[in-house]
This record gives sequence, C-alpha cells and structure tokens, in this order.
Amino acid sequence: MPKLSAMTGVGVRVRGVLRGLPRMLREDLWTAPVDPVPPVGAPGSPVWRPAFGMLLLLGATLVAVWHVPDLVPRGAAVPEYAVLLVVCQALALLAGMWQPLYAWWASLGLMAVSVRIAESAMTPGELFPWTGPEMALQGGALFLLALRVHPRRAVLALGLSLLAGLVSSAFTTQAHHYSLDVGAPVVITAVGTGAALRALKVARSQLVVQSGLTEEERSRRTLLEERNRIARELHDVVAHHMSVISIQAQVAPHLVEAPSDELRENLAGIWENAVEALAELRRVLGVLRSEDAVADGVRHAPQPSLDSLGELIGTVRRAGVGVTAKTTGTPRPLAPGVGLSAYRIVQEALSNVMRHAPGARARVEVGYHSAAVTVRVTNTAPEAPAPRAGGVGHGLLGMRERTAMLGGDLIHGRTPGGGYEVLATLPLEGPA
Amino acid sequence: MTIRVLIADDQMMVRQGFTVLLNAEPGIEVVGQAVDGVDALEKAAELAPDVVLMDIRMPRLGGIDATRRLTAAPGATVRVLVLTTFDLDEYVYEALRSGASGFLLKDASAAELAQAVRVVAAGDALLAPNITKRLIAEFSRVSRGPRPPGRERVGALTERETEVLSLIAQGLSNAETAVRLVVAEQTVKTHVSRILVKLGLRDRTQAAVFAYESGLVRPAGY
Repeated sequence: MPKLSAMTGVGVRVRGVLRGLPRMLREDLWTAPVDPVPPVGAPGSPVWRPAFGMLLLLGATLVAVWHVPDLVPRGAAVPEYAVLLVVCQALALLAGMWQPLYAWWASLGLMAVSVRIAESAMTPGELFPWTGPEMALQGGALFLLALRVHPRRAVLALGLSLLAGLVSSAFTTQAHHYSLDVGAPVVITAVGTGAALRALKVARSQLVVQSGLTEEERSRRTLLEERNRIARELHDVVAHHMSVISIQAQVAPHLVEAPSDELRENLAGIWENAVEALAELRRVLGVLRSEDAVADGVRHAPQPSLDSLGELIGTVRRAGVGVTAKTTGTPRPLAPGVGLSAYRIVQEALSNVMRHAPGARARVEVGYHSAAVTVRVTNTAPEAPAPRAGGVGHGLLGMRERTAMLGGDLIHGRTPGGGYEVLATLPLEGPA
Repeated sequence: MTIRVLIADDQMMVRQGFTVLLNAEPGIEVVGQAVDGVDALEKAAELAPDVVLMDIRMPRLGGIDATRRLTAAPGATVRVLVLTTFDLDEYVYEALRSGASGFLLKDASAAELAQAVRVVAAGDALLAPNITKRLIAEFSRVSRGPRPPGRERVGALTERETEVLSLIAQGLSNAETAVRLVVAEQTVKTHVSRILVKLGLRDRTQAAVFAYESGLVRPAGY
C-alpha cells in the first residue's frame, strides 16, 4: 500500500513541521540576533539615523491620527480606547528602531485588535482587513525588521503578517472590500527594500573588514621584510668576521718560528670551525636573501657604518636637501652591528625627510656617550604639505626594529615648529 | 719564474693574511697591496703583477668594476682571481663576465689559494671546472645583460678549433681534450692559443664564458 504510506509520510512531515513551529518561531522571530546599531556618536554609527528617527516619529504620529477614523463609526465621538490603540500602534512602530522583532510582534497583535474593533464599524467601501494606515504600520514594522535581521527571518515575518491578514478576513460580520491584493505588494515591497538595504550594509562592512585585514597583512609583511633585511645585514657582517678569522688562523703558524705541533693543531681546529661556521652562515644567508638583495645597487660595497656617514650626507645634499651634521663626544670604533644600525637609522630618517618633508632642512647629530651612542635626526617644517604615503611608515618600522634588536630606545614625533624628530639611543653593551 | 701577485681588499687583516700565506709559497711573491678598486687600478699599472687577488665588496670602486677596467685595458695581460666571502652565484658569474679568470672563497685553505694563483697565472685550466661550467651555463641562459657579439667571431674559428673550444667549455683539460680528439696534447695547446688569439680572449675561463654566451655550447639539460 504505497499510497497510504505516502500519505502517512506527508502526515508525519506535516506533524513534524507543526511540532517544530513554536520552536522555529521562538528562535527565528523572538530570540534571533538582531544586527546591532552603534550608539549615536560611536564610530560606525549611521549619521542618518537621528534624522530617520525624527521622520519616523512624524510619520507614526500622522499615521496614528489618520488611523483614528477607521476605528469609530462615521460621525461618532472618538472613544478613549481608540486613542490608546493608535498611540500604542505608533509607539510600536517607533520601537522598531531599537527592537525590531518585539516591535513587529506588538504591531501584529495590535493590528489584529484594531481589525476586530474596526470591522463592525466599517462601511462596505473601505479597505479590509488593512486600511491605508494599517498597511503603513505593518509595512513600516516589517521594513525596520528586514533592515536588522537575516532575510530568511524577515520573509518568515512577512508570511506571518500576511497570514494574520488572511485570518482576520475570515472572521467577519459583513461583506468587505478586501484589501490583501493591495496590502500584500505594499508589505512585500517594504521587506524587499529593507532586505536590500541590509545586504548593502553587510557587503560594505565586509569590505571594511577585508581592507582592514589587507592593511594588517601589509604591515605584517613590511615588518617581516625589515627583519629579514636586518638579519641579512648582520649575518653578512658576521660572515666577514668569520672569514677574517679563518685567514688569521692559517696565518698564525707563519708568524712564529718553529711552531709546535699543538699550536698547529689548535690553529687548524680554529680554521676548520671557522670554515664550518661560514658554510652554515652562507646557508642562512641563502635563505634570507631576497629579490631586493639582488637588485640592490650597492652590493659591491661593504656594509656601511657611522664612518661612512659623511658620504651619506654628501649624497643627500646632492639630492638638494640642506643637511648639517654634528658629532658630540669622542668618536670611537663601534661594534659592527651598532655602527651599521646607527648608519641605517640615519639613512632611513633622511630618506623620510626627503619623502615627507619637501624643502625642509635636516640636522644629524651623533653623540658618543660612555654606555651608548645616540643618533638624532631632526628636520624643519616642510615648505609644502607632503603627499601622504599610504601604509605603515616603512622607515620608522625598520628603525624601531633595529633599535629594539640592540636593546635601545627610539623616540620620534612632531616638533613644536612643525618639523619632525627621530632620536635613537643604541646601548654599546648588548641587550641584557 | 715567480708569479707576481697584487692583493686588493679593504680589510687590512685580509691583505696581510694573504700576503703571509702566499709569500710562504715557493714561486709566488706578493708585490703589493691595494685598499680599494681605485687603488688596485693604480697599483696594477705601477707594479704590473701577473695575478690580482680581487675582493668584490670594496669602497670607492667595487672589485667587479675594477676587474672590468683592468682586463679591458688594451694589451693587458694581468689575470684576476676574485675572492669572495659569499659564493653567491651571480657575484661569481658577474666576476667571470667582467673578465676574471677564476674565483675563490676567502676561507679557502692556504694550499687551495696557492693552487688557484698558479692555475690562473698559467691560464691552461679552468678553476674548479665543474662549478665554473655550471655557473657559466646557468647564467648565460638567464643573463639579461648585453651579450658579446659572439656569432661572427665563432665564424673565424676552424672546425677543429670550434670543437676544441666546446670541449674547453665543458671543463676538459688539454690532456683530456687530446684523448677525446685523438691528437697530441701539444696540438691541443696550439689550438687553444690560436682560439684565444682569434677571439681576443685572455684564458680558458674567458673562452668558456664566450662559448656559452655565444651559444656555441648549449647547457646540458635545457
């Protein structure tokens, strides 16, 4: 008996749906999450919201006043309950600004009540069950709902609104001019418009999130590139030292007359270790090497240190930037890592001046102190506002990384005169 | 005959170290030291060394440019052995293209150093044939620099000379080439010197660079 079992199947399904209905209604149209609206003044708060609220208040009042005659027979005095009802309906519509789900339920219930009250008082020519004001109230509540909840839930609410209209039409005491053919397009349009606006908003906020991620990604990449560059330079310095050690280890036996076997063995051991270390370093450098290392025009020159500062300043001057340099304290040889970092910080700071402060004059001060070396690069206010560069300041990032690596401090910021200052303090001892 | 060597490096320790190591070798004498590329050019003109040990990264004028100027001078017979801390392939290739006869890592042993100086001075073998070959082949394939006008000059070679050139480019020594072609080693030597004269090249290394860059020899596997 396949027919019977099919019918039983349908029955089971219908029963299942009916059993699930209260739960679905509760979850979808009572406890469902509503898109939050940031409070006025908070970032992301829609600027049109207060204005929209005012218009809605005005509209709700007008609709309420327009709705009153529907509830009483023509020419009769307006009873208090009718006034109370329209005020409640107006308030329900307004409440949709904050609690669209509850407000919609309220307006649905109030509609049913108002239809019951109005039904007997109506003349046959009037629209039923929804008069013009009723359509406006229902449409408004559904519109506010569709703006803030998932479209599926908005459609469910729309269905319930239409169903309520149908049910109201069923219990009547007289023939009416049924208005669902007018009312349905109105409320459907309201829901459609609301859902479309919400979709637009969702897409836009996703775009904002996306571009935020891209920005974060970019600054992370910049940071890694900087670290990579620093690591490369330092390994490079170490490798040069290592190769000098390997040469010296081989030279040493020639410097003494009749070196003992122990000495020879020892020095051979030093040489072997240096060669092994160099092989490892080359491997590390192979990993750290990047495109810009190959494109780097200065790769035939040794890694710079503060001694080469004069050349750097000369180059910047030739590029048309007025630079003065001053050294305080007694210059002395620095550890290659410190010297290199100090040089790079000055280099980055000067190139920032060229990029962001056209026409400004720069001043470089190098201070040799007992426990630290300081480099300060200041510039006067630019003659013209600089084109704003997008993204994180690449230069500052590199300076911060280099200073942090050496356990130093980096201070930078605007000066009162409209210029800029970068001050790096690099301790001569390594980070403790 | 003593091989006269000039050492160009910006680090004093390196210069002094190599001087001690090479002076300890029989038949090799360090005649001078230069602190950068410009100094190297001046000292080379003044001292006329047979071999210049050239660092790549030097202030004022880098080793590659100094090599190019040294070897491009008309009638120059000096041979350049490039010393690097890093065996970055493109460094080495650039050095070879700019006219260097060989390259060596700075941490090479004293024996390797002396051997390299001798090989480069004699000009009759490729230094580290396998590496040199691979490098030249690899880089002449991907090189974006201007290529020397090679094809016409290849035309100046006889068939046998072309054959010898391609064997040199594959890293074969004179003796190996002789065996391969079933001729006497002396004959091969004669061929090689004719090739170098006809092509205006300094030594076998430069001949190998030429062979790959002119497309005479195709790198295997490409």
